[in-house]
Amino acid sequence: MAVKSKAAESEQLHLFWPRHRRMTLLRAMTVQSFIIALVIGVIVVLYPNPPIGAWIVISILTVMALLGTWVVTLMAMRPVKDLSSALVHVSGELSAQVPPNLNDSYYVHTRLRPLLKLVYDMATNQPGSPAEENNEGAVVTNVDVAGQLNHTATGLIMLDASGEIVFANKSAPILIDGNGKKSIELIFDVDPSISQWLAERDEHDIHAEKTWRRIANKLTGEPDRRLFDVYVSYEKGSEAETIITLFDRTNDYQPEDDDLDFIAFAAHELRGPITVIRGYLDTLNDELADITDPDQKELFQRLIVSANRLSGYVNNILNASRFDRRHLKVHLEEQTVQNIYDTIADDMQMRATAQQRLLSVSLPDGLPTVAADLNSMSEVLANLIDNAIKYSNDGGSIEVTAGVNADFVEVSVTDHGIGMPANVISNLFHKFYRSHRSRETVAGTGIGLYISKAIVESNGGKISVRSVEGHGSTFTFSLPIYSTVADKLKTGVNNQDFIERSSSGWIKNHGAFRG
Amino acid sequence: MAIKSILVIEDDRFIGEMYVRSLKKAGYDVDWMVDGNDGLIAARNKPYDVILLDVMLPERRGSEILQILRGGAEDLIPATKVIVLTNFDQTEEARLAMERHADGYLIKAEITPKKLISVIQKLDQ
Repeated sequence: MAVKSKAAESEQLHLFWPRHRRMTLLRAMTVQSFIIALVIGVIVVLYPNPPIGAWIVISILTVMALLGTWVVTLMAMRPVKDLSSALVHVSGELSAQVPPNLNDSYYVHTRLRPLLKLVYDMATNQPGSPAEENNEGAVVTNVDVAGQLNHTATGLIMLDASGEIVFANKSAPILIDGNGKKSIELIFDVDPSISQWLAERDEHDIHAEKTWRRIANKLTGEPDRRLFDVYVSYEKGSEAETIITLFDRTNDYQPEDDDLDFIAFAAHELRGPITVIRGYLDTLNDELADITDPDQKELFQRLIVSANRLSGYVNNILNASRFDRRHLKVHLEEQTVQNIYDTIADDMQMRATAQQRLLSVSLPDGLPTVAADLNSMSEVLANLIDNAIKYSNDGGSIEVTAGVNADFVEVSVTDHGIGMPANVISNLFHKFYRSHRSRETVAGTGIGLYISKAIVESNGGKISVRSVEGHGSTFTFSLPIYSTVADKLKTGVNNQDFIERSSSGWIKNHGAFRG
Repeated sequence: MAIKSILVIEDDRFIGEMYVRSLKKAGYDVDWMVDGNDGLIAARNKPYDVILLDVMLPERRGSEILQILRGGAEDLIPATKVIVLTNFDQTEEARLAMERHADGYLIKAEITPKKLISVIQKLDQ
């Protein structure tokens, strides 16, 4: 056993350099020392009893000679070191040696660069590892591969350089249209799709790989819906440039879908009564306006505010559930912070007034436009204002302000309420987390900040908080200035769709029609 | 185009009554159907100016009704505006599929009858 491991050890590539270095230095120093000894011997024989000054000169020369030998030997051996560590690197062997960086000016200067480059190129173009040595053919082939691949539940699709399907086995989700044209039947609800990704690879890469998870071939509810993990490898110039492997994970992912359905159905049930309550409250508030006294009007306001909040919490739960399952989508478009606030302004003012808070909103006129999803960002702002109301005192003021910071517009919501200690802040954005004191005194789901953070980050921004216990808190979120990301947004196919849609007279309650 | 006639396809009695009451008060002619089959028949038999279409309906889903009316080679209701009204949190895919054939898509819990009427007036412009 010991012999065997010793033999295996001697095969390791990275062991060459340290030994070679040690042995070469040892030999060079030995030879140099021998020559010095010889010279001193000759001097002593020719000139017996040299003066003390001569001994000092001899000592200095000896040290210089040994030092010079050491340095020159190391310099002479550096190419050996670099080539061997390049070889170790491309072999894939684990070692502490750092592979040489081709861009180092030393390699250009010494003309070593082409040699190193050759080593790296040989490794990427001509496989050197044993498993890949028989690249020209399969490792073992005794069967009709194409036919046998139909037995596996794993889908396999090969595309040529033009993106045409040149091979697909039975399990692969393939759609054949009326003209006999074949296409891959996959619905990408995330960016980029395989074809978008491949289009980019064509320009930049020789070899690339990417994995997509949880990609369906059909819409929810359609028969024969399957969910795949999709692995795509791309090799420029090869006969089948793209190979797509589809692992059928329907059994793993389907139960999650069912859970999602449960929350969707539960929300549907909750929203029914909320619709009626909000609808009739609004109606009665109008129709009874002439006969209610101020006291009763305030009761109406409280009812309306409560119903609106309830509706907001249902949205939080739905968003959190979507986010957890990576179904949360944002559609970024050019927006103003004013617009985002306007969609919730009436509701927020009503909430603040009903709970004796003073809500002041001062958004500067010259603020640049931002890239944001109007619907979800207005929910974030509503969550932050709602929190500010909850965690402040009667008569307290809440300020909403905005400003520019580098490439971002920052929006802050400040209250002068109970605040919180530093140790609470780090947990604040976690799901179901509620601060120490709020547990007893304030109602809530602990989901608002969690989903707000998720939404802000999906919009490309950040959310943060500053707080002093007993003095209040300031929550700040940032959104990218539209002009800094406009190019990126315009190239995204999904976003383009959205911009088209919203410009063609589209109506959603996310806009001006929010209740 | 002056919007006058409205078809409400809504299975929830309370919600249906609420919309019908407010729309009638606002001066519209309103028909109300409570299941998907009747809703589809009504939509095909009479040229309404606006159809308010629920998604989770008995007999026939709203998505199916919309597909039949608008999804074929020919738009069967070219002069009609369709607003999808739902409380159901559809998947992104299903929602986009409906939005393609509709003129509006609203969450019922997020609007009041007053807001609904302002949306319809907006369509009228």
